[in-house]
Amino acid sequence: MNIQFTQEQLALRDELRAYFAQLMTPELRAECERDMGEGGGPLWREALRQMGRDGWIGVGWPESWGGRGLTPLEQFIFVEEVMRAGYPFPFLTTESVGPILAEHGNDWIRAELVPKILQGELLIAIGYSEPGAGTDLASLKTSAVRDGDDWVINGQKMWTSLAHFCDYTWLAVRTDPDAPKKHKGISMFLVPNSDPGWSCTPVHTLGGVRTNATYYDNIRVSADHLVGDLNGGWKLITGQLNRERLSLINFGPISQLFNQVTRWARETDLPAGGRVADQPWVQQNLGRCRALIECMKLIVYKQSWAMTVGALEMADASAAKVYGSEGFIEIYRMLGEVVGQAGLLRSGSGQGSAEAGKIERLYRTASIITFGGGANEIQRDIISAAGLWMPRASR
Amino acid sequence: MDFGFNEQQREVQALARKILSEQVSAQSLAAYDEYAQPRFNAALWQQLAAAGLAGVALDECHGGMGFGFTELALLVEEVGRSIAPLPVISHGLAALALQRFAGRAIRDALLPAAAAGEILLGVALSEPLNEDPALPLAVKARPEGDDLVLQGVKTAVAFAAQADRILLAARHGDDVAVLLLNPRAPGVSLEALETTSFEPQYDMLLDGARVPAADIICTSDGAAMMDWLAQRVTAAICAHQLGAADCAMRMAAGYTSERKQFEVPVATFQAVGHRMADCYIDIECLRLTTYQAVSLLDSEQPALTEVQIAKIWAGDTGHRVSYASQHVHGGTGIDREYPLWRYCLWLRHNEMTLGCSAAQTAALGRRLAAGEALFT
Repeated sequence: MNIQFTQEQLALRDELRAYFAQLMTPELRAECERDMGEGGGPLWREALRQMGRDGWIGVGWPESWGGRGLTPLEQFIFVEEVMRAGYPFPFLTTESVGPILAEHGNDWIRAELVPKILQGELLIAIGYSEPGAGTDLASLKTSAVRDGDDWVINGQKMWTSLAHFCDYTWLAVRTDPDAPKKHKGISMFLVPNSDPGWSCTPVHTLGGVRTNATYYDNIRVSADHLVGDLNGGWKLITGQLNRERLSLINFGPISQLFNQVTRWARETDLPAGGRVADQPWVQQNLGRCRALIECMKLIVYKQSWAMTVGALEMADASAAKVYGSEGFIEIYRMLGEVVGQAGLLRSGSGQGSAEAGKIERLYRTASIITFGGGANEIQRDIISAAGLWMPRASR
Repeated sequence: MDFGFNEQQREVQALARKILSEQVSAQSLAAYDEYAQPRFNAALWQQLAAAGLAGVALDECHGGMGFGFTELALLVEEVGRSIAPLPVISHGLAALALQRFAGRAIRDALLPAAAAGEILLGVALSEPLNEDPALPLAVKARPEGDDLVLQGVKTAVAFAAQADRILLAARHGDDVAVLLLNPRAPGVSLEALETTSFEPQYDMLLDGARVPAADIICTSDGAAMMDWLAQRVTAAICAHQLGAADCAMRMAAGYTSERKQFEVPVATFQAVGHRMADCYIDIECLRLTTYQAVSLLDSEQPALTEVQIAKIWAGDTGHRVSYASQHVHGGTGIDREYPLWRYCLWLRHNEMTLGCSAAQTAALGRRLAAGEALFT
């Protein structure tokens, strides 16, 4: 047991921090701000390609997948630093779907698509939820029907985030409507968003972030686009979700925000005398946030380590997701209290600080991951069943 | 970064778990309920010592196993899991402090005997309304020749009546002295306390108690030494809390999986499962923050922030797991015929010892306001 970074890992972190300080130009930062921290703009795209050219995107991927061969911990350090720098990193593509494609994809996928992910050239959206299938994902209806050597896909997906600037959709479809258990009749396809049968309409959310409804109208794809076994999609979905749950809980940006708010409170005088940080309740909020964020860090580091040694536990992945998602909300609330009324001001408005504007927006966006990536109720079911061996009610 | 245990750590865990699971039971613990006798199982302590565990963190030259603070913390976690009546924290940390700070004569005279379980060491860290071990206010030392003479009071001294030497700090002029006190020396009187956990604790009243020069660790700059010790005792309390909380949670998970209402196991109600899932998450947070603090302390890195955070979690997790476990058991959880209730007492004991969550959070907040403890 040694819960500290090695000298090499610390050096890697420093190297990345310097790298991103250069990469994040004011122009790129402004573009990301305009795009609500979602990315997708031309400068954002070019920066991603640059990371690809510099060999960072797969730093922790095995060499056989085209990566640099370091471990998931180094991969996590990279993602933490890129997010900390304020770059909206497309982690669903690179951290969650990408590794599944590298592991389970056929020759065409591994030769044509995976290298493009590592080059920062290819982006993938996730198509799971449907109007009638959310938490009960296995009841999805979008279908793929075999026609000669091809498959023909029809249906509708909801909450297909980032789809409007992605190249492919990682699509869960029903391939066996007669399977005795509904999750056994599901397969995974990669569908090109450039197909004329693909379309999307925007859905605007409380936090200002755009997501999408996507439509699949007689899209014809070759069998190469099937990932993994026919009717074997459920295993890939759960594997992807386990990885996604980890990626969602990235403590880089929130530790940065915490430091900024703490500095602001130390440097800001109150009109009646003393500094913001001198107030006991402010110290209490900062202390609580510090303790909460520390655990966020340790939970994800432990899971990165567990992936390195091949011991990732389902209950722990779910625990990370529940703890992190609910922790974010708690922390945004408490840091918002510290900045006070200014925490209601949009970025750039009035005399509010940059941190306050950020908190105003983050507080509005924070609920997404308590239900996205698998509702926290389902995660708690997983924890009590897989972590504590408690029997679960049949559904 | 490595969250796993190496072979020697797994061996210490397995050895402790084997002895404790064989020797500690609800029945054996019942002998100490309601202060029927001091909660100290001397025979079991000797058995632990014979297995080498009383000196697990002491160097081999002092008769120890030659391991470090990590292994001691893992032993303490197992003691917490069994809530065995053993003075592992006070003895283990007093010995470790002597090994690091005491002169050759004290080390040679005491440590081999401490490792063998022939003498018992203790620590006195608290004074009334003063939980800062590095800042003694109530106990004052005045020199008499080369000796020091003590006046004042230490409170909540665990195993004081059973111990042969107790490590404590005293105000010495404007400075802090650290010394070893024989609790049976003239001028020392012990008043037994009745604590919630039944741990034998004492108010130690010092009225002209003389500490011979040979038993003085230092006459000045003792604060840093006491900080070193207090951080390790705090981390050890977190490890004890971890073992106890984990056991209470698993008891509740097991019970609700068997107990049926409306013809189904109580565990199948989502409200029950989710409350237990929250315990699981709390305990994982306690585990990770504790292990991090232990790991840093073991390698002598600065760890104040990490220790404070671990203790915040030890308090919060202990409180929440205690009440959740009681609740999902229904009346059985508080029935003294069922083993959970003693765990609830210990979860409270650890929560309140050496700084509760609110006090630790306030201390951390003060440091943040002073520009310390930010993320790197």
